[in-house]
Amino acid sequence: MSETQTETSLTSPERPAFQWRSTLESLVLPAGAIAVAMVLFGFFCLLAGANPLAVYASIKKAAFGSWYAFQNTLVRASPLMLCALCTAIPIRLGMVIIGNEGALVIGGLCATVAGLAVQQHSPLLVQSSMALAGMLAGGLWICFAGALKHYRGVNETIATLLLNHIAVAILNHLVNGPLKNPESLNKPSSYPIPEDKMLHPLFGSNIHWGLVFGIVACIAAWILIHKTTFGFQVRTIGGNIRAALIAGIPVGRISLITCFIAGSCAGLAGMVEVAAIQGSANESLNANYGYSGFLVAFLARQNALGCILLSILLGGLITSGGILQRAHHLPDATIAVFQGLVFIVILFSESLYGRWKFFREDSHE
Amino acid sequence: MLTTHLHSPPSLELVNVTKRFGSFVANENISMEVSPGTFHALLGENGAGKSTLVKCIMGYHKCEEGDIIVEGASRDIRSPQDACKLGIGMVYQHFTVVPSMTVAENLILGRPDIPALIDWKAENKRLEAFMETAPFQVPLHALISDLAAGQKQKVEILKQLYLNSRLLILDEPTSVLTPGEADEVLGMLHKMVKAEKLSVLIITHKFREVTDYCDEITVLRKGKFAGAGKVADLTTSEMARMMMGEERTGKTVAKSEAAPGAPLLELQELRANRDNGVEGVCGVDLTVRSGEIVGIAGISGNGQRELVEILSGQRPLTSGTVKVNGQPYGMTRAEIEKNQIYILPEEPLRNACSSLMSVAENLVLRTFDKAPLSQRGFLNPRAIRNVATSLISRFRVRPPNPANAIGNLSGGNVQRAVLARELGSGTAKVLIAANPCFGLDFAAVDFIHSQLLEARNRGVAVLLICEDLDELLSLADRIVVMTSGRLVYNAPVTQANIKEIGEKMAE
Amino acid sequence: MSSEIGWLGVPLAVAAGAIRGGTPFLFVSLGECLTEKSGKINLGLEGVLLMGAMSAYAISYKTGNPWLGVMAAALAGLTLGLIHAWLSQRPKVNDIAVGIAMFIFGGGIAKFIGKPYIQPLAPQLGSFDLGGWSSNSAVQSAFKICPLFFVGVTAAFLLHWFFRSTRWGLFVRAVGDRPDAARAMGISVWSVRALCIMGGSAFAGIGGAYLSLFYPGCWTESISGGQGMIAVALVIFARWNPINCLWASVLFGAAQALGPALQSVGIQKGYYLFNASPYILTLAVMIATCSTKRKLAGAPGALGSSS
Repeated sequence: MSETQTETSLTSPERPAFQWRSTLESLVLPAGAIAVAMVLFGFFCLLAGANPLAVYASIKKAAFGSWYAFQNTLVRASPLMLCALCTAIPIRLGMVIIGNEGALVIGGLCATVAGLAVQQHSPLLVQSSMALAGMLAGGLWICFAGALKHYRGVNETIATLLLNHIAVAILNHLVNGPLKNPESLNKPSSYPIPEDKMLHPLFGSNIHWGLVFGIVACIAAWILIHKTTFGFQVRTIGGNIRAALIAGIPVGRISLITCFIAGSCAGLAGMVEVAAIQGSANESLNANYGYSGFLVAFLARQNALGCILLSILLGGLITSGGILQRAHHLPDATIAVFQGLVFIVILFSESLYGRWKFFREDSHE
Repeated sequence: MLTTHLHSPPSLELVNVTKRFGSFVANENISMEVSPGTFHALLGENGAGKSTLVKCIMGYHKCEEGDIIVEGASRDIRSPQDACKLGIGMVYQHFTVVPSMTVAENLILGRPDIPALIDWKAENKRLEAFMETAPFQVPLHALISDLAAGQKQKVEILKQLYLNSRLLILDEPTSVLTPGEADEVLGMLHKMVKAEKLSVLIITHKFREVTDYCDEITVLRKGKFAGAGKVADLTTSEMARMMMGEERTGKTVAKSEAAPGAPLLELQELRANRDNGVEGVCGVDLTVRSGEIVGIAGISGNGQRELVEILSGQRPLTSGTVKVNGQPYGMTRAEIEKNQIYILPEEPLRNACSSLMSVAENLVLRTFDKAPLSQRGFLNPRAIRNVATSLISRFRVRPPNPANAIGNLSGGNVQRAVLARELGSGTAKVLIAANPCFGLDFAAVDFIHSQLLEARNRGVAVLLICEDLDELLSLADRIVVMTSGRLVYNAPVTQANIKEIGEKMAE
Repeated sequence: MSSEIGWLGVPLAVAAGAIRGGTPFLFVSLGECLTEKSGKINLGLEGVLLMGAMSAYAISYKTGNPWLGVMAAALAGLTLGLIHAWLSQRPKVNDIAVGIAMFIFGGGIAKFIGKPYIQPLAPQLGSFDLGGWSSNSAVQSAFKICPLFFVGVTAAFLLHWFFRSTRWGLFVRAVGDRPDAARAMGISVWSVRALCIMGGSAFAGIGGAYLSLFYPGCWTESISGGQGMIAVALVIFARWNPINCLWASVLFGAAQALGPALQSVGIQKGYYLFNASPYILTLAVMIATCSTKRKLAGAPGALGSSS
C-alpha cells in the first residue's frame, strides 16, 4: 500500500466540491437514451408509413398541446405516480416488487367496501375511510410479500406476480358475486359509491385529488428515503444486509414497514380510481397501471422525484394513443411499442454508468 | 486423449519469471524447479505472490518476462486448457465442482473432449475402471451438494487425475478440510508421488503439512524469491524466517501488565450452523474481561467466522446465550449503543459496508440516529459530512472524498474506513476483531496493533480472532484455540505452550 | 356439452381442458425451464407469447399453411429472445426489468403488426381425433388433441435427456449452477445463456402459435392472458425439471378448466377463485418449501445473482 508514503498534507477538513460530474452523468445518460429511443421509434414510424416528425408533433399536441389535453395527461399520470412508488421504494431495500397491479386492485376493492359501508355518512367520512381502507389493504398486500421474503425466503418478485393474479381473481369473484350490482349487466361492477360522496374534480377542471396525492406521496417518499434516519436504514439494508445487521438495524421491521408504505401507495391509487373515476369496483381497475408504474420507476431510476416527471410524460404518451390512430392511421399499440423501446434503451444506458472517464469524480484531481 | 497409460510426471522449471499489474510487481525474477516425482511446497505470507505465480503457470496470467519450461522446452501457456495438454492441472482453494451435478457428471464435464452425446453406460464403465486405479474413492452417482467438504476436495483432485494431469498444483487445498480429511487427502497424494506417478506443487500455510509430506520448498516474500531448499535440511523456524524476513523480529509490542477486571463479554454454550446447515459452532464457552485481550487461534474454517457472525448479529444461534455486562445481549441497536460494542469483521466490504452508499454514510452507520447527526428522525447532512471528513483525515482514507461510493475504494481503504468507524469514537467497551490486519501494510498493521492495545489498557474487553499465531502471541493476554467449532485450549499467554497450541490447532 | 352425460361431463371437461389449456403452459414452462437452467430468468415470455400468437396467425393466413405459422412463431420468439439475451447480460442491468420491458415491447409490436389480422380467419392446426371409440359427441370433442401437444410432450422428455446426456446440456447446467467454474473450464457463459434464452423464447413462441391456431384459435390482443408471466411460477412448481413441467402444465390447465366445467352443470360459485387456484397453490408451495437459509432444492445456483 503506497498511500502511507505519498501522503500529502491533509490538515483541515475542507468542504468537498459539488459532485457535478456524476450529477451531469445522471442527467445526460437518460436524456441521451430517450433521444436514441426517439430516433429508433422514428424509423419504426417510417417503416409503418408515417412521418416521424408529424407523429411527434401529434403526440406533443395530444399530451401537452392544450390545457384540456394536459388535464387528461395529468389524470393519467396520477395513478402512475402512486403505482411507481410501489416499485421505487422497496427497490431501495433490494426488493424488486411487481405487485403494483395487485395492490392497486385490492386497494380499490377494499376502498369500495369501506365506502359502501359508510355511504350514508358525510362525503369526507366516506372518502377518508375509503382512502384509509385502500392504503391499509394495499399496504398489507405488499407487506405480506415482504414478510414471505423476510421470514421464508420466498422470492418477492414471483410472490407479488402470483399475488397480482390472485388479487384480480378476488376482484372478479366479488364483483360477479357478493358485491355485484344487479344493474351492471355488460360490465359487472360492485354497487356504486353515491355520486355526491365521490372525490370531486379540482377547480372546475378534470383533474382530481389523485394528482395531489401522487405528487405529495412522491415528495414524501423522496424525503423519507434520502433525508430521514428511516430512509438511511432502508438504504443500508439495500446496499448490504450484513452491514445493516452488524449495525443492529432491525432488518425485518424496516423491510415490512417499507413494503407497507409501498403497497399503501398503490392501494391509494386504487382508491382514487374508484372514488374519482369509476365510482365502483370493476374490472377497469385491472388496467395495466401496475406494469406502467413499474416502467416509470425504472425510467426514473427509482428516484421518487423523477417518478413525478416520468409519470406525466408517460401519462401524456398514453393519452396520445387515440390521436395516432385518427391522424396517422397507426394502431393504438404504437404507443406500447414506443414505451417498450424507451424502456429497452434506458435499461441499456444503465450499463453505461461509469463507462466514460469524463463523468468520474476522482480521476480529475 | 484419455489414455490409460500413465505418463511419468512432467518436469517444470521457472526462470526469472516477472509479472506486473500496472505499476505493481506481483512476481519479480522468480526461478524455481519442480522435478518429476517430488512434493514441492510454495510458501509465503498472504500477498507474497504465490497465487499469481501459479496462475502464470496455468495460463491465467501472461508473465511479462522469463520462461516457463515444461519437459525441457519453453512453453507459451495461454489458458488452463494449454496447461492441461502439458499434463498440468490445478486444484483451487474454492471448489470448482458443480454442486447440482453428480460426481460422474463432474468428472465428464472436466474433460476437454466431452462427446456431443454422452453414452452413460460406456462412460460409467470407464469411470468405474478409473476409480479402481484412483487413490481414493468417492461414490460416482452422489450429488456434489450432498458431499462433505473433504469428499468435494477429493473430487477436485480426481477430476485432475482423470484428465491425466501428472503435475498437480494445489492452492491451499486443506483450508476447507478438517485435519483428518487433510491428512487423508495429502497422504494419498504423497503415496502417488512416492510411486513417481505424480508431482505436486502445493501452496500452504501449515508447516505441519510441509514437514509431513513435502520434499522441497520454495519461499516467496513480497513478490520476490526468498529461499528454497530440501525439507529434510530445514527446521520450521528456518522456513518461518525465510517467509517473514529478518526485519519483522522487531515487531514486539510494548504491553503493560494485564489487569483484567470484571467479565464484560460472556459466551455460554453457543451453538450455530454453517450456511450448509451443518453445525459450525459447537458449544463455545468463553469469558472476556475488561482490560484483557483474548486471542482465538485456529486454522480458518473451524468456526471462527461463524462465531464472529453470531456476535455481529449476522447468524442466528441455535442455542446458548451471549451476555454483555451480565445481561443477555440480542445484538439490537439499543444494546449495541448501551454497551458500546464494536466489531472489526474480516472482509469489511462484504461484512460491514453498504456498498451503494457513500463513504460518509458508511462512516456514520453506528451514529446516524443520534444528535447532532440527526434530529427527530431527520438527517443532518452537514453534520454527517463534518464527522466523516474528520474521520477520513484521522484514519487517512483515500481518496479523501466523503461523497465517494464506498465500493469505489481500494480494499485497504475500505478497511481504514471501517476502522475509523469502529475505533474513531474511542468509546468502545467491548471490541471484537477478526483478522484485522489481513492484507494491510506494516504501517497500518502497527497502527491497528497499537489501537487494540490502547483499547485494552483503557479497560476494553477485546476478543481477537486471528489466523496469525505470532500476532496473537504478541498481542493477546490469553490464548484459546478453536478447532472444529470448539474451544480446546485456554491459557494465559505467559504460560502458553507453542507446541501444544500447534497440536491443538491441528487436532 | 355435458347435457347428454350430465355430471360425468365435469371430469371429462377437466381432463380435456388439462390437455387443451395446459399445452401453452407446457411450452412456456419448458422455455422458462431452459432459460432458468442457465441461471437467467425471463419474465418477458408474455410478450413472446403474444408475438408468437400473432406471427403464427398472420403467416398461416398469408400462406394458408398453419405449420409455417408455427415456425414463424418460433422464429419470432427467437428474435425477441436475442434482444433479451443481449440486454439482460449487460452489466448492472436488472433481469426483471428487462423482462417487463420485453413484455411491453413484444406485446406492443404484436398488437401493432397484428391489428389487420383480428378479423380474418386463418387456417387452423388440425387435430388427432382420439375419441372415435365413443359415439358421444362430448367425448369426441374432448379427445380432439392438437399435434403440438405431442410435440410439447416429446420436447419435455427430450429436454430432460438433453440436460443429462449431452455435452451442451451439461454446459447449460454448469453455467446455471456455477458460472465461475464453467468459465474456468473455458465455457463461454455469455453464449450458453444467450442460446438458452433464445431457445426458451422460441419454445414460448410455439406456445403462442398454439393459442392462435388451435385453442382458442383466434388472434386477439388479450389472448395470452398472463400465461407467459406465470411460466416463472410454473417452473418453480416443477422444480426446474422438464418432465415435472409437463405435469405442472397439465395441472394448471385442469385447474383452469374446473371453473367453466362446474359452471356448465350449474355451479356458479367460486368460478373466478378456481381460476386462481394454480397461483394460490404455487404460492403455498413456495411458502412451504422456501427457507431463508438455503436455495430451493433443484434451483440453479446462479439464479437471481448477477454474475
